[in-house]
Amino acid sequence: MSKQVPETIKKQVKRSFNSKEVKKEKNQKRMTLLKDIQSKAFKRAEKYEKEYLDQEQKLVELKQKALKEGSFYREPEPKLAFIIRIRGIVGVPPKPRKILQLLRLRRIYSGVFIRLNKSSLRMLHFIDPYVTWGYPDVETVRALIYKRGHARVNHQRKIIDSNEMIYDKLQKYDIICMEDLVHEIYTVGKNFKHANSFLWAFKLKPPVGGFSTVKRSFVNKGEHGNREQYINTLVKKMI
Amino acid sequence: MTTQQLRPIVSVFPIKGKVKTIKQVPLPSVFSAPIRPDVVRFVHTNMAKNNRQAHAVSTTAGEQTSATSWGTGRAVARIPRVKGSGTGRSGQAAFGNMCRGGRMYAPKKVWRKWHRKINTNQKRYAVCSAIAATAVTPLVMSRGHRVNKLPELPLVVSDQLQSLTKTRQAVKFLKFIGAYRDVEKVIRTKKTRVGQGKYRNRRHVLRKGPMVVYARNLGIKKAFRNIPGVETASVYTLNLLKLAPGSQMGRFIIWTESAFKLLEDIYGSWEKPSKFKSGFYLPRPVMVNTDVERIIKSDQVQTVLRNRRPRSRKYGKKIQRADPYEDMSVMVKLNPYYKTKLQKQKELEEKNKKERKEIVDKSRKEYEDWLYFSEEEEEEEEEEEEEGSDEDREIEVLSDEN
Repeated sequence: MSKQVPETIKKQVKRSFNSKEVKKEKNQKRMTLLKDIQSKAFKRAEKYEKEYLDQEQKLVELKQKALKEGSFYREPEPKLAFIIRIRGIVGVPPKPRKILQLLRLRRIYSGVFIRLNKSSLRMLHFIDPYVTWGYPDVETVRALIYKRGHARVNHQRKIIDSNEMIYDKLQKYDIICMEDLVHEIYTVGKNFKHANSFLWAFKLKPPVGGFSTVKRSFVNKGEHGNREQYINTLVKKMI
Repeated sequence: MTTQQLRPIVSVFPIKGKVKTIKQVPLPSVFSAPIRPDVVRFVHTNMAKNNRQAHAVSTTAGEQTSATSWGTGRAVARIPRVKGSGTGRSGQAAFGNMCRGGRMYAPKKVWRKWHRKINTNQKRYAVCSAIAATAVTPLVMSRGHRVNKLPELPLVVSDQLQSLTKTRQAVKFLKFIGAYRDVEKVIRTKKTRVGQGKYRNRRHVLRKGPMVVYARNLGIKKAFRNIPGVETASVYTLNLLKLAPGSQMGRFIIWTESAFKLLEDIYGSWEKPSKFKSGFYLPRPVMVNTDVERIIKSDQVQTVLRNRRPRSRKYGKKIQRADPYEDMSVMVKLNPYYKTKLQKQKELEEKNKKERKEIVDKSRKEYEDWLYFSEEEEEEEEEEEEEGSDEDREIEVLSDEN
């Protein structure tokens, strides 16, 4: 006497998306996708390395050319800034408080990338006494994103542990790996907004060796305000 | 219409002889009415208030004193106290609900609202529900009736039952049909009432036994009158308080054939109105098919459902990951090009180093050559000059050797 399986159960198993075959198929698809991502990531990283080098060389060439001609080469103004909040929460007036909130600098030693334009420069002007900021170079951007880069996934802060994470969220903006992300941030591309909002605000450590005095601006031998390229050394101490 | 099996045909049994079907009748539509315990409960609780008799406390109770408060300053409570002296009653507290012999709080009045109006439709809805429930065996059993030995539920019996006159005949019939077990239960569990009702002419408490519903009383009423627990009712006037005693649905009913058939006319159906209750149609159920499980498991529903989402905990496990600048495997996972990059950097460095070395070596060699040749020239010059001290020359020669 053969064992009769009820038809409803047969149908259920067939429909079930958890069945072994379905799972296996899904897994295979995922594996091929990951391989694809990694191979693309390799090629893109290579491309970007070359791009960064070329940029540097180009800059040098133009300067030299200008020197030869006896004129000046005016470098393009920086597009990207990295801001670090260096003052705490207590006793912040409402306007700077709001701006710091808008920039996601809600706690001390938190850092964010921001694109520089007239509007954002004005915002920075208001919060100068509470932050220090400057123009990060590629290595700084890389270090931040690799070492301290957390993604905003499902309203949660999750460390970026694979390119799959980035692919899932930013595939539609053609950002599929870490190097893509770094590139988008550093060169302030078309999808800078999405790349930046994908990243949770960086939580940095207090600087090794400390600050001189936060109450004075960097220009006045203090710490706050614009410190242009010296942000890179500071980030190294805080990362 | 509900979880009960639809029995379109019901057997009619004789009242004696052999328990077998003598006829088959269709099940009236009432038995498919929605079974609504909430409606039955509501109607029952209000209907049950309608046979109450007014009672109240005497209007003068506790007020028949001329007590006055003594006021303050006498080291006693300020409650009104009975005037006068010479008796134990004097000086005692009076009037208050807290006082001994005082009037109660909010003395009961006869003009309390004893009866309740219930919407006619609601009443009819409840009765339909209750009748429908009498055909549902689990409900009848859960109400406590002993219905295991019955040939069928609903139990329909030939019209000859209506012509019974003797109690003996009635008992014989009940035993024949298997309903006497319920009567036995009633007899067995007759008890003295708990509480003061026992000396207020309500001494005994009986369970409810079977209810016999007839169309015409040709003696049946008197025949069943004295059997404990058994009630009779005309099908024209079915009482919810009897159909669902204590608002518990599922009374065990024995129908006579004509009574059973009349149900279709009395309560109507969804298409035809009742002949006796003007404008009344059977109540419609909110859900036509209440087998929700079956609906959910059906093909029509299952094929349209999205996949069940994995049980994602809202705050998932924290992903641990090493620092990519310390752990190469993590770095390579994030940036597959990294190793190649390092290699290339290394190669570049070495290339640069090599070039630099070459340049440095070349320039050093040039310098040394220049030094060597320049010394030779100087020597030649010195020889030509034939001037200068020997000592100096010696010194020069020595320094060259060094």
